[in-house]
Parts: sequence; C-alpha cells; structure tokens
Amino acid sequence: MDTMCNKPRKQILAIISFLFLSFIFSANNVSAADGAKIFKQNCAVCHSLGTNKLTGPGLAGIATRAPGDEWLKKWIKNSDALRKSGDAYAVKVYNDNNQVPMSAFEFLSDEELTSLIEYIKAPPVETPKGNSGATGDLAAAVPAEQGMNPLALLIGVIVFLIVIVAVLRGVRFSLKNLQNEKQGLPLEEAVGPWTELKSWMSVNKTKTGLVILFIVGGLSSAGWYALKGIGIYEGYHPTQPIAFNHKLHAGDNAIDCQYCHSTVEKSKTASIPSVNVCMNCHKGISQGPTTGTAEIAKIYEAAGWDPDKGAYTKPERPIQWVKVHNLPDFVFFSHQQHVKVGKQDCANCHGDLKTMTTAQQVKPLTMAWCIECHNKTEVPGMKDNPYYESLHKKLAEKYKDQPITVAKMGGIECAKCHY
Amino acid sequence: MATKKYWKGLEELNNSPEFVQKAQSEFAEQIPVEKFLGNENQETSGTNRRDFLKFLGFSVTAASLAACETPVNKAIPYVVKPEEITPGVANWYASTYYDGSDYASIIVKTREGRPIKVEGNDFSKVSMGGTNARVQASVLSLYDSSRLTGPTANGAAATWENVDKEIGGKLAAVAAKGGAIRILSSSIISPSTKAVIAEFTAKYPTTKHVMYDAVSYSGIAKANAGTFGQEVIPSYNFAKANVIVSIAADFLANWISPIEFSKQYAKTRKVSKDHAEMSKHIQFESNLSLTGANADERIPVKVSEQGKVAVNLYNAVAKIVGGSALPSSALACDAAIAKAAKELAENKGKSLVVSGSNDVNVQAVVNGINQMLDNYGKTIDLENPTYTHQGDDAAFADLVAEMAAGKVGAIITYNTNPVYTAPASVKFADAYNKVGLRISFADRADETASLAQYICPDSHYLESWNDFNPKKAHYSLAQPTITPLFAQPRHEGTRQAQDTLLKWAGNTTDYLTYIQKNWMEKVYPMQGKYMMFTEFWNHSLHNGAIEVGKGEGEVLATPVADSTAVIAPVAVKPVKVEKSADVTPEVVTVVAKISLNDAAQKINAVKAGAMELALYEKVGLGNGNQANNPWLQELPDPISKITWDNYVTMAPAQMAKEGYLMMERQDREASVVTVTVNGKTIKLPVVPQPGQAEGTVGIALGYGREKAGSLSEKTGVIGQNAFPFVQVVNGTMMYGALEVSVANANETTEIAGTQIHHTLMGREIVKETNLESYKKNPKSGNHDEMLVTHSGVKKASTVDLWDEFDRPGHSWGMTIDLNSCIGCGSCVVSCTAENNVAVVGKDQVMKTREMHWLRIDRYYSSDMTKEVAKEEGIGAIDMYLEMENPAAANPKVVFQPIMCQHCNHAPCENVCPVLATNHSSDGLNQMTYNRCVGTRYCANNCPFKVRRFNWFNYNGNSDFAFNPTQDDLGRMVLNPDVVVRSRGVMEKCSMCVQRIQEGKLEAKKSEAPLKDGAIKTACQQSCPTNAIYFGDLNDENSEIAKLRKEEAEGRNYFILEEIGIKPTVSYLTKVRNCEDTIEDGRKSAGHSEAKSEKEHA
Repeated sequence: MDTMCNKPRKQILAIISFLFLSFIFSANNVSAADGAKIFKQNCAVCHSLGTNKLTGPGLAGIATRAPGDEWLKKWIKNSDALRKSGDAYAVKVYNDNNQVPMSAFEFLSDEELTSLIEYIKAPPVETPKGNSGATGDLAAAVPAEQGMNPLALLIGVIVFLIVIVAVLRGVRFSLKNLQNEKQGLPLEEAVGPWTELKSWMSVNKTKTGLVILFIVGGLSSAGWYALKGIGIYEGYHPTQPIAFNHKLHAGDNAIDCQYCHSTVEKSKTASIPSVNVCMNCHKGISQGPTTGTAEIAKIYEAAGWDPDKGAYTKPERPIQWVKVHNLPDFVFFSHQQHVKVGKQDCANCHGDLKTMTTAQQVKPLTMAWCIECHNKTEVPGMKDNPYYESLHKKLAEKYKDQPITVAKMGGIECAKCHY
Repeated sequence: MATKKYWKGLEELNNSPEFVQKAQSEFAEQIPVEKFLGNENQETSGTNRRDFLKFLGFSVTAASLAACETPVNKAIPYVVKPEEITPGVANWYASTYYDGSDYASIIVKTREGRPIKVEGNDFSKVSMGGTNARVQASVLSLYDSSRLTGPTANGAAATWENVDKEIGGKLAAVAAKGGAIRILSSSIISPSTKAVIAEFTAKYPTTKHVMYDAVSYSGIAKANAGTFGQEVIPSYNFAKANVIVSIAADFLANWISPIEFSKQYAKTRKVSKDHAEMSKHIQFESNLSLTGANADERIPVKVSEQGKVAVNLYNAVAKIVGGSALPSSALACDAAIAKAAKELAENKGKSLVVSGSNDVNVQAVVNGINQMLDNYGKTIDLENPTYTHQGDDAAFADLVAEMAAGKVGAIITYNTNPVYTAPASVKFADAYNKVGLRISFADRADETASLAQYICPDSHYLESWNDFNPKKAHYSLAQPTITPLFAQPRHEGTRQAQDTLLKWAGNTTDYLTYIQKNWMEKVYPMQGKYMMFTEFWNHSLHNGAIEVGKGEGEVLATPVADSTAVIAPVAVKPVKVEKSADVTPEVVTVVAKISLNDAAQKINAVKAGAMELALYEKVGLGNGNQANNPWLQELPDPISKITWDNYVTMAPAQMAKEGYLMMERQDREASVVTVTVNGKTIKLPVVPQPGQAEGTVGIALGYGREKAGSLSEKTGVIGQNAFPFVQVVNGTMMYGALEVSVANANETTEIAGTQIHHTLMGREIVKETNLESYKKNPKSGNHDEMLVTHSGVKKASTVDLWDEFDRPGHSWGMTIDLNSCIGCGSCVVSCTAENNVAVVGKDQVMKTREMHWLRIDRYYSSDMTKEVAKEEGIGAIDMYLEMENPAAANPKVVFQPIMCQHCNHAPCENVCPVLATNHSSDGLNQMTYNRCVGTRYCANNCPFKVRRFNWFNYNGNSDFAFNPTQDDLGRMVLNPDVVVRSRGVMEKCSMCVQRIQEGKLEAKKSEAPLKDGAIKTACQQSCPTNAIYFGDLNDENSEIAKLRKEEAEGRNYFILEEIGIKPTVSYLTKVRNCEDTIEDGRKSAGHSEAKSEKEHA
C-alpha cells in the first residue's frame, strides 16, 4: 500500500520542487521592490527610514551624509572591518552611536545592496490612513447603518397613508355635501373618523378580525425575536483603546496567532498578550502602514518606552482592552481543550481574523451554537491520543458506522462546562 | 438492623412531638417575600398588593432594559508578564504553617498571584501531607480586612520611619538606664528568628526572651527534665503502638502535634483481609473529646481522678512486669485500668501511654509507666525531641511578677495574646500596663496589642519568609506566596517581625538574606547530599521540608554523657542524651529529680470537687488565634455539632436532675448557667453531652474574643472566654478546675447545631463490627440488604427498576473508610475553600440552612441491641424504646462523612422539572446552577439531605456581611474555577468536578491515559488519615477499583442500597477493637419486619 502510494507522490514532489527552484532562479533580477523586502528583513529592526533613532540612526538623508554608495556597501557588508581599516567616517559613526557595532551582512549580493540603497535613498511616501479606531478595512464586513432605518421608513409610510386617508376623507365629505346641497338633499352630519371606523368595523367583522389577528401576530413575533436576542452579541465590535489591526499582523505579515495569544495551548484562556510581547517587534517598528505612528505610540505609552531615548523610562500603564468574546461566569470554556486536544482552528469560533482589523464577535456564542458543533464534530485528535484509546474502542463498537462525535463522548453533559 | 442503635442527638432519642414535627417539615419556612420588599413588618407597613405589582412592573422593566445593554468587560493584561505565571493556570509553592501551636508543612495553590488553597506537603516527614481544619482555614485569615495596614503609635496610624526612630530612641533610653527589656512570644521554632532575637539581645543586653504558650505543655518538659535531665517534649510514634492508653490527651485534635499523630494513628487503624490487625486505643477522660470518640474503649473519669488513673495504671503495670507499687487510692474504674495494664504489658515496647495533664507529677508517673513498658526508643523518641511547644509557665509567671513590680522597662509581644489567654489569677493586663514601653507585633489591635503604645504589624505567614525546626533534624521553609497585601503606595504596609527586630538591632540585611546566611552556616553543613549551597537551598525551598542529619549520613551531634537517671522506686533504663547541636539553642537546666513516690502522694492528695471543670480546645478554633475566621466559626464541633458558640457540656442525667432544658441542639432553647471559678464568673448555655463524666462540666477555650476583628462587630462577640478559668497549680497551668459552682441563671438562649436535620428512622446507615468477628468473617457486620420480590428474597444490589447506563470512559467512584475517619472536620473546611461554599451564620444554621457540601454525621450508640433483647425476652416496642434510652452515659461514637452520594439512579434527578440535575456518562450527579429555578423538589427527594439551597444572596445581602465574599479582600480567596452561586439556586457536592476536568485535560494534553491518583478531591487531599479514596472504577489498576474488588465480600457497603438508588460513594465497615460480641448473619426477613414495627412504633 505504502509504496504504491508513495511513489507517484514522490515524483510529483520532485516536479513541484523543480518548478519552484527554476522559478526562484529565473526571478533573480533584483529590483527596488526587493530593496524594500531586504530592508524589512534585515534592517528595520534597528533602523527607521525617518530621522528617529532606534538602535541605529535613522536613515533619512543618508545619501547626503555618507561618503558614497560604495562606502555604504562596504559598511553594510562588514562595518567592523571598514572601521578597523581606519576609515574616518566609519569611526565617527561608530562613536556617535555609543560604540555599538552594526551586524555584518556579508551574504547580501552586490545587486541586492544596490537595490537596498536605492530603496533607502528614496523610500515610498507613506500616507497614514488616519487612526479613527475600529473602522478601517472592516467597514465592509460590518456595514454601518446607512440610509434610513427600515422601522422609521415604515412608520413614515404609515403616517403618510393616514394623512392621505384623512385628507381624502375630508375631500370626499366636502364633495358629497356639495353634491347634496346641489341636489337639495339634507346635509350629511360630520361624523368623526373614529365613529366611522367603528361602524365600518361592525359591518366588516371578518376583515377587522383578520387585521387584528395580523397586528397581534406581528407584534408577538417581533417581541419574541427581540427577547430571544437578549444576551446574544453576535456582531459585537467594540472600540478598542488601540486599534489593533489583526489583518495587518496575522494576515499580511502572517504572524501566527499563538505568537501573541501564547497560552492557548497551556491554559483555559488564550490570553491577551502583555505589552512586552508587542514590544518584541515594536521596539523597532514605530510606524505602521495604516495608522502611522499614532497607534504604536499608545503601545509605547503603555510600556513606558521612550522611543527617542530608546529606553523604558516612563511609568507603565496597562492597556484596558475591551473584551470582545464574553461567556457568562457559569461557563468554563477551555481553549486548550479545543485547540490543543481537539485540534480546532481559531477561525471556527473567532472568524477569519486575518481579514478583520479590531476583533469582532462573529459567532453567537450561545449554548445552542456550542451544542450544534459538539453534535456534529468528530474529535480530530482523538484517534491518535492514547488517552482516548479505550473510550474510542468502546464507542466504535457501540456506534458501528456512525461518526463518533463530541456529544457521543459525553461532550454535551452539563458538568463538562458548568460547575 | 444494626447491632447498635444509633441516634443523632438527644432530641431524636427522646422523640418528642416537637422534634417529630421539625423533622417532618425541614423546609417549613415561608418564602422570604418581605426581604425583597424591604420591610420586615408586612402587616403594619404600607406595602400592599398594588405596591407589589408596582415593584414587579418596575423590576421587570428595569431588568429587560438592563438586559438589552451590552455589558462592557475590560480585559487588562500584564504590562510585563512574569515568566512563571500563565493566566488560568495555578502555581504551587511549598511553605509552612506554624501559629505557635499547630505545625504543618504545606503547599499553597496560587492563581494569578493570590493564594487560594492550602494542601499538605507529602515531602514532610513531620506532618506527612496532612492538614487540619485550622491549617485549611488559614488562607482566609490572610484576606482578613481587620488586619492593620501599617504601624500605629498610641492608637493613631504612623509611618515606619517615625515608629522606628521613636522606638529606637526609647529602647536606647531603657537600655541606658539598665532597664529590663523583655520579648514575650509564643513558641518559636524558627532558628533564624531565634538568631535575630539573639542579635537584638546583643544590641540591647538587658533583653530576655520568654516563650509562653496559650495552651501549655510545659509539664511534660518539666517531667522529662526531672526524669531524664532533658527539658524537652519527645517525639511520639503512634504508628508503632499496638496499645494506646490516653489519659485525657486529645492527641487527634489538639495535643502537641495532632496532624502528625492522626497520620500515625490512622496507619494502625487500617484493616484488610490480609492484615486483620489494628491497635487498641483506651481513653480515660472527662469531656467526650474527638480522640475519646475514636477510642475502642472509653472510660469517663472526673478531672480530679485523671492523675489517680495514671498512678493506678502505674501500679497495675508494675504488678505484671514486676515493680514496686506507688501509694494509691481506689478508683471506680480500677477494673478497666487493670484490663488496660494487661494489654499494655502484653505489648511491651509496642505500646504508648500519654496524658493530657500539664501537671509535672502526673507526667512523671506517665514517664514511669512508659519506662516500665520499655517504650523509650520505640514509641517515644527522646533523642529527637519536638520543639513546637517550648512555652515555659514558670518563666511566664516570673515575667508577670517582674512586670507587676515595675521592673520591666520595655516589652515586645510577638504572636501571643496574654491579655486574652492568661489565667485570671495572673492579672496580666494590670502588670502589662505597668511596663513603660509596650510594643506589639500583632497583625491586629487584639486584646493585648490594643493596650500597647506601638503596634508594628507583622505580615501574614503567606506573605513572609521564615524557617522552622519543628523537631530535631527536621527543617522547613516558608516563602511568600503573595506580595504583602498591605504595602506601599496604598498603605504604610506590614513588615515581618524579624525584619523589624533586625532593623532595631541595627542590622540592615533583609530577613531572607539572613535566613540564607544562617542556613549556609548551620543547616547546610548538617547534610552531605548537596555540594553547593544554592543547590541545597533551592532543593529545600522547592520541597518545603527537609530532614538533615538523619538518614542522610552525617550526624554531627555526638553523645556527651550517659545520664543515668535513677528514680525511686523504679530503676530507669539509661537514656542516651545528645548534646543539642541544632540551630535551636537548647537551654538545659538541671532540675531536681522527681521521686515518683512523692509525685504519687501529691496526686493522691488532690481532692475531688462536687463539680469539676475540664477546659478543652475545639478542632475549629483551637486557642482562638483565628477567631475572626468565619469558616472556622461555622465548622460544627465534631462531637456536639454546634456552631458559632461555646457552651457548658454536662452529663444528661445530671442536667435532668438540675432541671435544665434537655432539648438543646438545633433551634432549641438551652438553659443558661453561670459558672464560677475562684470568683470569676461567666454565663453560658448548658448542653447535654452524653459521655461527659458525671460531676464534671466542659467549656471550650478560644471563644469570647472581643477584639479579634470585624466578625464580632457583625455577629456580636462569639461565646465566652474561658481562659481566665485556667489555674496555676505547682507552677504550671492547669486547664481545668476542681472547685466549680454551676448555677441556673434562669435564662434561656438559642444555640445553632447542625445535626438534627433528618431522622435515621432506624435504618442501617453505619455498619460496624469488632476485630474478633472481623477476623472470623471479613463480612461481619456488613450484611447484604435484602428485598422481597415476586421471585423471592433477593439481594438489594441485584434488584433494579431501571436500565443500567453505559460508562464508556471513566466511572468515578469514592470509598470512605469509616475505620480511618476520625471526624476532625479538615475535609469540611477544605471543601468550603475549594468550592466557594457560603458562610450563612448562626441564625441560618438554626434554620437548618447551612451550606456545607460535606458534613460529618456523628452517631451515638446505645447499649441495647437486638441480641440483648432476644436474650432477655424484651418485645420489639420495648426494645426500641430501650434503645433510645438516654441513660447511655458512655456511648460509642461513630463519624460518617456524608456528601452527595452521586446515586446512579438518583431520586433527585427524576423530580427536577427543568433538568437542572442529571447524570453524566462518567457517573457524576451533575448540578447545573444556571438551569436551576429553585423548586427544591430535589432536596425534598434526596434521601441523604445533602442538597443545599441558597435562601439568600449570601454574597450581597447585608444581613450576611460576615461572608468572606462580601469583603473586597475576602473575595480574593474565591476559587476562580467554581461558580459563586446566587440566590434561589440549589447546590451540592460536585465531586470536585473542576479538579476532574483539570486532571483529565492534563492527561489528554500529555497524550497518555489518566494516571490513578492524578485527580484528588479536596476532601481526599486534606484528610489527615487518608480515609477517603477516589478514582476511576473503570481503571482496573486504580487503587479504588482494587479496594472495591477486595472488599466486595468484606467491608464495602452502600448506604440505603435497599431503596435501589445505587450510590457511587461507598463506605467500609467500622471495626472496633473491643470485646462486644457482634453476632453476624441476621435474617433479612426479620430485619424488614423489625423495621416496619419500628416505623409503626
């Protein structure tokens, strides 16, 4: 079995890797776009493109400061060697920066260096998109209420119709009396609309009944659905103190969820990262592509980091995030059970964060929703986990061809979540 | 039918009409409507139907409006997360509990940096993983808002800087004049603290350190000084004793080292088919103590007779082993003494005689008995003395005299409260006020500290570093498990007493560094295992407790002398005396040798009083140092089952004679009496106590704390202080009195007991046999319950109305060994802490509304049995009347922990209209609070009455302000893994399902089958006698599965099996090592007949 299966697979793999390699080689002509990439991968940790100093000096105006491109190339490749060769400017730079040597980048080719320097000299002008909190790209996902409220519209229509009816009634009454006057008939007495409605209702009992039934039914069902929605916050999307952009981090930069939510496999909570985790990267990255420095500055404020001095000098101020996914206190949900043992993807419950900015509750998080999933999901990690071995054997025997779902394993019993 | 008839209290015994009515209407109280309408007087208030509707309409609208609002929950992560903390995961730290009396090496569970639970440390060879109620409750005492948040000077808040400066100046002034400085403390077993005191003494050379214990054992040390020339309290090993004779020593609850002794004692009480042997325990005492309740034979004696029992026992043993007799006087219990002596003599070197007396003479005679029995070096270890009680009554008396004479310039009190605990005759408060400079390290302005000029509050032990030397060669450490609760910048803060003393001594090192230095110099060289000190320190800190010098190769101490103490008239075996090379400096004073003849004469000269008093400590409050702890106040006394009070215990026969009210427990009124000793009088309710020696009364110490903290403000002072009744006799404290007058105060009061909630109706709840019968038949006493069916009489376990359910995964089971359970209540407090059980207070307990998920039922037996009735030809009705005869002056006692039995065919589950309680596939009876609507049908249908209903919002209602959950600090003790229940919800034992879930998850994550023992319930873990077994019945290799298999045709039984509920919790028959013949093999048909007759009767 194995060999039969494996052989073609290996061939396919070989073909794929060949194609892939040839693509890489063919794509060897370096351009300024790669300069940006090289910069991000190697330089951005210590240098900004502006004037502010991170670990190393800001690189704005480097073209006018430095002795020339060739010098720059030598410096980047091995600054230590350049300095030790007695280059005056190299010594000056070294002394200006607290005598912290810059790492050597010998592996960069000449072409790559050229494109890098080109990029540094003329960085793309970044246009921060404003920092108005929780909107951003998610505007599409969560349409703000545009146009008229349907209820207001309905009320408007009803009022409009009532006005028309009243006007028409008045017109009809005037016309009728005019006609009566002309024909010499006695004038109609002015009857109030309410009296008229009552008399109409007493004549048309079936129609009245139907209308009342319709109204009562409509109100009841509206009330029922309104009550059912109490406590369900699907779509809840609070404004956060920092407009953290999940799309940028987890989507564009493909940072694994667990880099920040690191306890998801260790604890019942996935944990909101502490500020020091943000600072792992943001010590170096003080400017983002969407909000510029505005949001990142808030991290610095929380951490007590002074970006100008490059040191933690200020008091720490914990960030007060607004909790998005709230379960009642009597529910004991465990992330590690679901992620580590049950091998569930974060997106199953939290939606595709890679497309959201600030987090939003996309699932109802009701008990019915939990049970629905438990009723149909087979535990992916179960078959290979020795813990489940005997249980799995017994259940497989009992439920012959049916899938062994979480529910069948006891996963919808009360005390699994409520205690 | 049980061979013994058990009754739960005198009310049941008397079966008065009021009792029957109470028993039938447990939930008779009206729904507390007036509570939520806010007016107590319904009739006179303007609240009527219309108002009710208005309230209703308003609250419904308000509730719906509130429900529409999305609540905003904040989530605030750390700025810099400490590496060792994972939110949601507990950290455990080893530490040590020592309050000057109880010692336990512990591990502390912390969640997000706050301690929430204390468990025993298995690494300790002293406490051996055991805890007691007081240790369990100590975590709540940490979050006590009555603690001082900073130093005070003359009652006003002060800063440490000022206090240090002022005290430094004043001490210097006293020292300059050559005035005496005294440090008065409870026993200190911390070598480093003693070093700190030595350092302080070096700075102020007029300093003397005096140790004083609230409940003193100095008589034992003095007697050993007289007998062996060593003023120490030896180590006892109950595990090696086949015969234990205790003369009023309550060694399972309070005496010297109860946790250690319970562990040892329980080892001798484990019986199985293969090992059908157990120790024999004989107790002579006045009050029915916890230890006496566990004894195989218990003989009530008067307080004045206790010493004479020791003398007569000495003579009886001497007669057998060949020794000369001491002068003695005849006692009523001489036959029992002779029997005990015979047992002891047959087990020479494997027996133990202990006495709870603090009289040097009595202890000297007891030493003589143990010497004759060759117990030294076997069950008594003089070479490894225990240091936990070093209080010296004589030194204390000298100090008070010095103070009264105005000779003391300054006094520092540390961890002691003599204004409250000293005997009235000592007049401590007057003497104290004569001292010029009074400084206290108390954590609150207690009775003594409130009289001091300066209070420099010590930190709680869970916030502190410390080291301990409870016994020679045994060391342990305490480490902080939380940053001090009261610290800068919000408070001036508490400071460890040792740091304070170091500062005043002019030493700038902090106490941790100081301990490390001390250990490096003194403890580290005693061991040979670790080459590096840091390695040794880390190991010690991790394990919490270590043993050095013994077992690890090097013994540095060398014997310097063979002191052959020959005491008339018995030749004493030479005892090797080792010079104490421990860190604890030993002051060996030479004491005149005690002549046993003189001792016996002095004992015989003791005159009996018409009414005598025996003071005792309760397992909950002990000496009262944790009196502000509501968990301990609500813990029922194991014997009387009374909460929130102390009282006078008296023999029922005597009470009847005096015309006192007899129906005292529960919501019954009790007569109030005035008890007068030496002109000092207190008023207390009097309670009938079967087993109390006639002519004696008992009163518990530790109550009546007026300045223990805010609890007494909320509930009123709880009980009365009996410490003033302590007598000073022959230079030691005597915890009793021989001349007591008890007079009727012609008042009544109400006291709250927990026992009478439900009647037994004569069913077999506790099964019992004796050792002889058990050896012949392991199933003796445990007859199968039989049912009459249409196809004949069948075993109840084989008849079933319902289908069996699958248990494909785990099947949790619990078994409780009634032979090991001593009824100490450690599990009750442990369960309270683990499961956020509410404290309800005295009034609610009186209404049978206590919330404990786990209770310990105590049953008394009576002497009438079916066999006796058969022999004597007594008819069934007369027999049952006789069985209920209150003349049972000395009943046998059994304890039975009852929690939810997790019935597989649970009666509660069938009647729940909303399916809030149902069964899980792993055998748990689940209770879902969020589903419960509070019909209470389940509680009415539960045959065990283990379901508890939340009548009030105990977490918010100001009537229950004493509940820890109503206090910002107290709330921190809550276990975040368990819901805090709200009003209108039923709750009960969940078998610690949160621990089960956690244990399972750990196994799943490590991808391995669940290991037996990985999950322990809170009650199981805290049990000092390992009486509770818990595990997976589906795992053939688990301890519990093996035990159930082994005991299936032995001691294992299920309560109320005959009603077909199939409980998950089983019990093991109690085996008593006594001679009562217990006939086995009763006819089941006869049983059911008898039962129905009983019910008709």
